[in-house]
Amino acid sequence: MFMNENQAVSQDQPTEPVRQLPVITPAVDILENEREILLHADLPGVLKDDINIHIDNGKMTLSGRRRLQMTGATAWREFADAEFRRIFAVPQNIDVGQVHADLKEGVLRLHLPKSESAKPRRIEITAG
Amino acid sequence: MTRWQDMHSILGAMDLFRNQMNSLFYQFDRTYSLGHGWETSETYPRTNLSDTGDNLELIAELSGVNREDLKVKLQGNYLEISGSRKADIPEGYTVHRIEQPAAAFSRSFTLPYEVNAAKVTATLKEGLLTMTLPKSEAAKPRQISIQ
Repeated sequence: MFMNENQAVSQDQPTEPVRQLPVITPAVDILENEREILLHADLPGVLKDDINIHIDNGKMTLSGRRRLQMTGATAWREFADAEFRRIFAVPQNIDVGQVHADLKEGVLRLHLPKSESAKPRRIEITAG
Repeated sequence: MTRWQDMHSILGAMDLFRNQMNSLFYQFDRTYSLGHGWETSETYPRTNLSDTGDNLELIAELSGVNREDLKVKLQGNYLEISGSRKADIPEGYTVHRIEQPAAAFSRSFTLPYEVNAAKVTATLKEGLLTMTLPKSEAAKPRQISIQ
């Protein structure tokens, strides 16, 4: 469901932001087990609705916009509104329809399940 | 006593200068990974500080840090944020890549004003620590009525 929504959005021409935000490459962790590839991406300050994940033709684009609520006079500033964006190659054996994600403490956890045919299988040998 | 205060204001100015320099380099630092670009343990977590008149507001980037692993210490105008980011590798997974490793961190600041430590609020949400630090009475802006 999550993916379908994003795919629907990305079919339209992407609208250019009014103000070009600096693009930051988020730090990621990539883990794998028999069932899935698990990707953790650091997106501090990005809200769930501002994250877009798009998989097409073996390429996954992860992007998220951060809009900070800033008030008062700036004493110092080390980070600002930004667009986090990173593109990954997705292996053939990923079941794109089953990809799902959750966001917690500014970390996106993206689960990319492997398709049935790619999971390790034990082959029974039948006595002839 | 006066000499101590002088020292403090010099250190405060140096802090400000360092922060300005950090923000100057910000644009060039496109990746967050340690060991790349300009980010060092000296500048983690990154912070923004603003002054809203009665309060100072500080925001720190702390994604993946749990509330219970974070410590904030405050004394007069000295603020210290420390803690640790724990490894988040579920059991049975092979690691291909870790760009933000588990690590302990600590950063301290000299705030431009003394704050009322009893009234400080801090919330950790979406990987951002937001602190509202009310200035101590003496540091607040005051309307002077003219006789």
